[in-house]
Amino acid sequence: MSSVLASSPSLLDRISKVVERFLEIVVIGLMVVLTALIVVSVIYRKLDASLSFADEVASILLAWLTYYGAALAALKRGHIGFDGLLLALPRPIRLPLAALSEVLVIFFFALMAWMGWKVLVVLEGMSLVSLSWVPIQLTQSVIPIGGALFILCELLSLPTHWKRIAAGVSHEREEIEEIARHHMEENSGQAAADGPLGRGEAAAVTATASAPVRRAQS
Amino acid sequence: MILGVMLSGLFALILMGVPIAVALGLVAVGAIWYSDGFDALVNVALVMYDGATKFPLLAIPMFVLAGAIMNASGISRRLIAFASALLGFIRGGLAMINIGVSMFFAEISGSAVADVAATGSILIPAMKKRGYPKAFAAAVTSSSASLAIIIPPSIPMILYGVMADASIVQLFVAGIVPGVLGGFSLMLISYLLARNYGWPVEEIFNLRRVWVTFKEALAALFLPIIILGSIFGGVVTATEGAGLAVVAALFIGGVIYRDLNLSFLRAALLDGAMQTAVVMLLVAASALVGVYLTEQQLPQQLAQWVLSITENPIAILAMMNVFFLIIGLFLHSAAAIILVVPVVVPLISLVGIDPVHFGLIVCLNLAIGQQTPPVASVLITACSIARANVWEVSKANIWFIGVLLAVLMLVTYVPAVPMTLVEWLYR
Repeated sequence: MSSVLASSPSLLDRISKVVERFLEIVVIGLMVVLTALIVVSVIYRKLDASLSFADEVASILLAWLTYYGAALAALKRGHIGFDGLLLALPRPIRLPLAALSEVLVIFFFALMAWMGWKVLVVLEGMSLVSLSWVPIQLTQSVIPIGGALFILCELLSLPTHWKRIAAGVSHEREEIEEIARHHMEENSGQAAADGPLGRGEAAAVTATASAPVRRAQS
Repeated sequence: MILGVMLSGLFALILMGVPIAVALGLVAVGAIWYSDGFDALVNVALVMYDGATKFPLLAIPMFVLAGAIMNASGISRRLIAFASALLGFIRGGLAMINIGVSMFFAEISGSAVADVAATGSILIPAMKKRGYPKAFAAAVTSSSASLAIIIPPSIPMILYGVMADASIVQLFVAGIVPGVLGGFSLMLISYLLARNYGWPVEEIFNLRRVWVTFKEALAALFLPIIILGSIFGGVVTATEGAGLAVVAALFIGGVIYRDLNLSFLRAALLDGAMQTAVVMLLVAASALVGVYLTEQQLPQQLAQWVLSITENPIAILAMMNVFFLIIGLFLHSAAAIILVVPVVVPLISLVGIDPVHFGLIVCLNLAIGQQTPPVASVLITACSIARANVWEVSKANIWFIGVLLAVLMLVTYVPAVPMTLVEWLYR
């Protein structure tokens, strides 16, 4: 992810790694449960025995996926934005604007977390309609927790992001390069093995094409 | 007045590099604070939660996941081999294979960037080797991948359906005819260019090879047909169909092709989760703005204002096209839909334009937007794979953008093209 400036693993890097692993496990778990829930509920519905709680629980899990995933995306600076103008500005204007933008992001999620906390206090003692043993406080906890995690991830990824902004490098461009490189490497390996265009002449073409051409261009 | 302040604030925040979702949230916070006082801000927590619980949007992580699993199972190689056997004998064959595979692939991945990365990384180097200019190779890959946006399943269509409260299934069906038409037009242009520049044929047509590669690609070809068939037939909803697509993709990748391993699966799950979260945060933040806008009746006021200029649907559609083309220059398709669709839909329904028809127009505009820098994720991915300059590729891409524009005009002004199938099946 930080291909601009690789440094020796510091405490910050190690914390980032732990947070990243944790969030990855959470979102992968949510994805698996969501998929299973949708599939099982289709089967039940086809057997004329609908699962009353399936839709409500799936919607809640989607909200959880949103905020735990959003924090992970913040750690990887993957949220959709437009950095074209910012990067074109001269450094003395660019850096203060970038700093202000960070402050605003943190302000928004701090506000969301704080308000989310207030809501949690009010929701004391209420539970879901379809599953009465699940307290709403649990399902709604994603807002204050998600807000706090987002701020943590924004701060953890700030040093790398800052160096990138200072150097005038677009993160999105870098990411696209990364995807392109990843796919090229994967395919140049497989191409030699069994030939993407099938057997015969065309296969030989691609097998020899991927690697050398890339080297020549870069 | 307030709308003016909100809009300029939003633009200023986006241009400073604030993520669009957060920019939307901040503008909403400002507006709520200003008009309803600080205590009303508790709504931020409530709406940001409710906004993220939209059940139909569950189709997005499921389709992304199914696409990522199929992609990790080597499906692009098998589709390319089949397309090569089928189309390789025509002059400019590799360009056509490229377009043909994008059209198939579109039915599985639903995402143009995934499409361009998977097929482009195989086909662009092959095209360069065979003497195609690299700018042309990148352009044809990029344009045909963007066409994917209107061939079902399509993530922008799912988003549009939810934001505009239109039927996702009908949107999918409406995309079929224009998508196929666009694909064949792209092929025709490639053929004419290939004849002109003397680009090569790939292989002699051989029925046996078509059969062999067809058998290899069979599962990949059947998956979308079965899933989309059950969605169109009303057997399952779009969300349920997407869930089944994941199971089918796991079966094909793990049992039939046996190319799937755990690290691919982990990457596919993460990919699906992150893409979904990024889009869903935008959806939730736009719900926050939406609550305020609806309270103030701002979309209705906008509609009245436009109607005071003209009530002619043809003129209004022309305005919308220009507007969305400009938006597409600067915004990703998901962000554009979430930002703009809720505001313009009241206008569209006042003039009597079918929201499904309009959805297709929006998606096509944004497909063109993916081809036009500065913000053009699909084009830039293709350029990056081809190691080609963005402006050179854009020059070669003019032909293909022309085709996409022609399809856009046809879809806009001949509603029968997208809507006949919809009318026939559902109305």
